[in-house]
Amino acid sequence: MKFAAIKPVSRVLARELAVTALLLLGVSVVVFAILYLAPGDPLNVLLEGQSPRSQLALGMREALGVPQTWYGQYAAWFGKMLQGNFGNSIRTGLPVLPELARVGVYTLTLTLGSLALTLLIAVPIAVHAAAHGGTTGNTAATLAAYVLSAVPVFWFGYIVVYVFIHQFGMFPLISGTAAKQEHAWLYFLVPIFVLGIASGTLSEMIRHLREELSRVLAEDYIRTARAKGAPVWRHAFKEGFLIPVTEIMSAKIPFLLGGAVIVEQVFNWPGMGRMAWQAAQDRDFPVIMGIALVAAAFVRLGNLLQRVVFTAVNPRASKE
Amino acid sequence: MDAPLLAVENLRTYFYSRAKRAFIRSVDGVSLGVMRGETLGIVGESGSGKSVTALSAAGLVTAGPGVISGRIDLQSNGSRRNLLDGLENYARVTEQDGRVMAVEKDERGWRRHSETLMAGVRGKEIAMIFQNPRSALNPYSTIGKQLVETIRLHTNFKGERQARERAIHWLERVRIDSPRLRFDNFPFGMSGGMCQRAMIAMALSAEPSLLIADEPTTGLDATIQSTIVDLLAQLKTETGITTLLISHDISVIQRLSDRIAVMYGGTVVETGRAAEVLAPEATARHPYTAALLASIPSAETIRRKSYLQAIEGEVLDTIEVPRGCRFYGRCNRVTEAIRGNCAGLEPPLGEVAPGHKVRCWLYPAAGKP
Repeated sequence: MKFAAIKPVSRVLARELAVTALLLLGVSVVVFAILYLAPGDPLNVLLEGQSPRSQLALGMREALGVPQTWYGQYAAWFGKMLQGNFGNSIRTGLPVLPELARVGVYTLTLTLGSLALTLLIAVPIAVHAAAHGGTTGNTAATLAAYVLSAVPVFWFGYIVVYVFIHQFGMFPLISGTAAKQEHAWLYFLVPIFVLGIASGTLSEMIRHLREELSRVLAEDYIRTARAKGAPVWRHAFKEGFLIPVTEIMSAKIPFLLGGAVIVEQVFNWPGMGRMAWQAAQDRDFPVIMGIALVAAAFVRLGNLLQRVVFTAVNPRASKE
Repeated sequence: MDAPLLAVENLRTYFYSRAKRAFIRSVDGVSLGVMRGETLGIVGESGSGKSVTALSAAGLVTAGPGVISGRIDLQSNGSRRNLLDGLENYARVTEQDGRVMAVEKDERGWRRHSETLMAGVRGKEIAMIFQNPRSALNPYSTIGKQLVETIRLHTNFKGERQARERAIHWLERVRIDSPRLRFDNFPFGMSGGMCQRAMIAMALSAEPSLLIADEPTTGLDATIQSTIVDLLAQLKTETGITTLLISHDISVIQRLSDRIAVMYGGTVVETGRAAEVLAPEATARHPYTAALLASIPSAETIRRKSYLQAIEGEVLDTIEVPRGCRFYGRCNRVTEAIRGNCAGLEPPLGEVAPGHKVRCWLYPAAGKP
């Protein structure tokens, strides 16, 4: 029985991984093409205050491979990338990959933390509403969640900064560098709180989970479970909870990443979002490429997780 | 005579329709008794309240601001318990001329209390099988797991391996071929008839005192229906299980029941031993029962190539229940002598022969219950 489920899961996993590889290839081509066509020249950043016609500038161009054709440039990047070399940042000169790993941890903490917070708030409200119908309590909670989700995340961020940091002086402004201080984890919670509450994920999560769970609770097989005196949650868990939760999580990861860019700006959070923002302004091509790939991989990972859970849980999925 | 295993007394189950701002009187004063070892068949059209009667007995009605009142006594281990005991404390019913006008109900308290009353009863004392077996089984779990769950919940076979052997034993008893292989099947990989067999195995594996079979053949192919009826008949002789059988199919009722209750518009209109109620030459018979019997093909109608009779009119709307007989609007046997009574006064359920009761003004005996 246990082994019967492994085969379809590994098949799905293999297929999804292949799709992911193709997708990442596509993403790299598209992003590269956009960067190539977009106005702006990374050399301007490097050569600030110097004449672009100087000997230095020409040397720079040579070193960066500008004279090559665009596909030559892409092929050069791609070849190195396959060996795990994403190039060096034009702005800082540091290798991209270790830098990405360094800031990626911050972004991962922020997004996963806020996802966990969203779940922590959404699940009790949705489950209560599905099990008991609309009571005054859960209707009020749902309404509050909708209002918070409609609030722009940057605005909510600034409100939090204003109230908690300026008025009460509770947290230092530069939360990222506070990592070395005592109780550092506390400072980390502020941006996580802001992104978790106001990213727009909360209301969607409540709605999706409540709808799915109440649909499942009305199914015939739940009535059978009640008729045989078995705990209802045991029967409703897979279809009514596990599947909708993973669905909404994977669907909301892109929005969380988008929200992270903003929240990282507001809170001076040294994550990928800020790095992306900086890199876009500097036309720091290698960094942008790296971030695009990592972000796409992260989104795909969410989808992959959802597919795997769905296949592992649903006996019909393995027969497709 | 012994006390019945299940005695339903003046059961009323009303639902509130928000759209119509009125109470739907699905079950309106039903009294029934199921004796140990017998099969009571409840027959009636859709909407006659037969399924709601069964669901009420199993505590599976989740009516919003509705009414469930009366008594449902279950005899278990020598003691008697009322499955609706104390529920009236959670609802305040305002009545006017015998009609429910409003209900104030503490829904959560009601539900919690109902769950307490049904704990140890549902599944263990009263097991149920339903229509559309494929959707009634959990699609995310194997047949075997679902059986094992029931067995471990309600019997002394607590160990995983013991319960598994017991489950396979029950799959054999419902004549599922190669039960050891079927054990690991999911419902979607099985036919409807096979699912219903598994459903029956699951219900019986708890060794309940009462089996409620709610339309067990509905949603199955015609050929499968008769094999399921055969199976139920065989299991009845093998286990002697007390059964409350609900069906709109009078031939299914005929095959399996010892006694019959005919329901119309939320009330029992005729009850008695199956042989008497369905006997072709019965002297006293409710016009609705007569109409039901005339609407099924018999050897006689087939031989004479005559048309089957449909029952004229619509099923009773249980919101606006008429003052007189509920069947009056569709009845073809109203005589001038009794018309006044039929239109204005609900007939009582009167005994026309020992154990045979009919709710109709045609039978003078019915006037004196």
